[in-house]
Amino acid sequence: MEFKTSNGRIEIDPTRDGDSFIHEGMILHTGENLWLEIEGRKHKVVATKVGDVWWVHVQGHTLQFEVIEAGGSSSDDEGGLTAPMPGKILEVHVREGQDVVSGDILMVMEAMKMEHKIVASSDGKVEHVHYKEGDQVPQGAELLTISE
Amino acid sequence: MLKRTLVANRGEIACRILRACREAGIEGVAIYAENDSGTLFTELADIAVQLEGEGLAETYLNQEQILQIALDSGCDSVHPGFGFLSERADFAQAVMDSGLIWIGPSPEAITKMGDKMTARVTMKEAGVPVIPGEEVTGGLEEVLQIAPSVGYPLLLKATAGGGGKGMRAVHKQEDLESEARAAMREALNAFGDDRIYVERLLTGSRHIEIQILADKYGKTIHLGERECSIQRRHQKVFEESPSVALDSELREAMGEAACDAARAVAYEGAGTVEFLVTPKGEFFFLEMNTRIQVEHPVTEMVTGVDLVREQLRIAGGEAMSCGPLNMRGHAIEVRLYAEDPSNNFLPAIGVLKKFIAPTGPGVRLDTGVREGDAVTPDYDPMLAKLIVWAPSREEALQRMGRALDEFVVLGCTTNVRFLRELCTNPDVVDGWTTTDMIDRLWPDGWSPGHAVKISDAGLLIAAACESTNHGKTVTSSTGGIAIPSPFSTINRRYP
Repeated sequence: MEFKTSNGRIEIDPTRDGDSFIHEGMILHTGENLWLEIEGRKHKVVATKVGDVWWVHVQGHTLQFEVIEAGGSSSDDEGGLTAPMPGKILEVHVREGQDVVSGDILMVMEAMKMEHKIVASSDGKVEHVHYKEGDQVPQGAELLTISE
Repeated sequence: MLKRTLVANRGEIACRILRACREAGIEGVAIYAENDSGTLFTELADIAVQLEGEGLAETYLNQEQILQIALDSGCDSVHPGFGFLSERADFAQAVMDSGLIWIGPSPEAITKMGDKMTARVTMKEAGVPVIPGEEVTGGLEEVLQIAPSVGYPLLLKATAGGGGKGMRAVHKQEDLESEARAAMREALNAFGDDRIYVERLLTGSRHIEIQILADKYGKTIHLGERECSIQRRHQKVFEESPSVALDSELREAMGEAACDAARAVAYEGAGTVEFLVTPKGEFFFLEMNTRIQVEHPVTEMVTGVDLVREQLRIAGGEAMSCGPLNMRGHAIEVRLYAEDPSNNFLPAIGVLKKFIAPTGPGVRLDTGVREGDAVTPDYDPMLAKLIVWAPSREEALQRMGRALDEFVVLGCTTNVRFLRELCTNPDVVDGWTTTDMIDRLWPDGWSPGHAVKISDAGLLIAAACESTNHGKTVTSSTGGIAIPSPFSTINRRYP
């Protein structure tokens, strides 16, 4: 089984024994409640799935694991300059065809009543500017396309 | 005595006020925008009225509509909570002109304290020390002209503002113009007023504020301090009382200055006077918040005074009920924000698929949300406040850590883990809390330090849950089967 995390992709193949799963010396007992057994001590854990992502609460930590379907190609969100959250475009600092260097401020957007800068993460040329000042953008919307 | 109060707010603080109304035997009227239908605070009211329109300007900031609802629903008073219209003198005046009671200070007091420049002048005249700085009335050109004489680092603040909006720290001349433009624009968007002022940024200072109460009978008291130094983006995340930085002498001096500040504007009700305290123990007036504050529960926990009940009492024309104060123990509040602390504290959205709050001795949760609620970008990302009380600061930190470990929020990213790490951070434990500490401790941003064991455990849990389709199957085979209670049987037999 494969998951995407903030640290990249991870594969795991736990050993199953009835309702229990074993990995790296830890045992997870499944059922209505989830119990994690580490070195003989049991800890209650909570997990829930939202979309393709498993949200897990374990010992005061919250982690997320996105399920990658076997054989399926995951949509790669790297390289794009996307809206980190829904909001409004306040300023567009670049035009199509313009060369930019890493660190340049490309756009300023407002969300949750705070301003956020959209900054170039690498050098390149602006291919497309998808929104103009005053536009509302949904979370994850591609704001600009920059070629290497 | 008040009979029916309209609460012109939403979320957590509306819940707090509506509960106080119910305890006081006052009927509570809630107003809510369409996208707040079915949320917790609408259920805690005796009457809930939906606001027409969309967006803040047409709903929670719509003075005319709110006032009309108050009149139509037979209210005798309006409680503004914090944020929204709470510091709008024109609204306070309109409420009073309609023959209703405004639960807060007079419009004159709000005006004098709400405009930072007027407040500075008023405080100087009252003998309360103020921060060195320059007041700007002439727009961007004047900001650029005045800044060098104030010196760097400096702080640009919205004259009408609060809550970190329109506030910018500038460390070097090159950044001034763009930051000033941004500050003015944020100020204009948030407060409809783009005036800003420039003051010296006092680094390494503590943000310590004094809670005051004043009634119509000439009694003005202070209820000790709250230290709110731990801030990100100039917004507080962790507040406590008492502060380790104050001895009884400094506490009394600041308390007296706060009472002087309140008397200077003939203040009535609950208010907070904010100070910056330098490492040398000098204190400077920052501003006065002419309303109940987000962090008021820490004062309630250490003084035993119910500040919202006192607000209701004072507005109703009664004297405040609290006598000589007997401060005891230590209280801490943390603010649960829907935000990603590992990504520059950017607000987050999502559905609270799981929201399991901590319980146990000394734990109080003031929440506006519950499991199943959606967190949207429409409103402030503060979801709830977790407050603990314990006999000592050390035990309060331990209790907060325990409570945060119990706090399960899944489906929307929050700052719970960040808050949890603060509880054991050596600087926090030692009381070295300053307003710049988050930037100082995590100059490259914070990221959760999950041990390998935790990451492995999480992965195992995710894999097992995916394999078993956890949570998807119908649970509990005994659900719905009524087991006869032995007590009802006994009750019937021996009435």
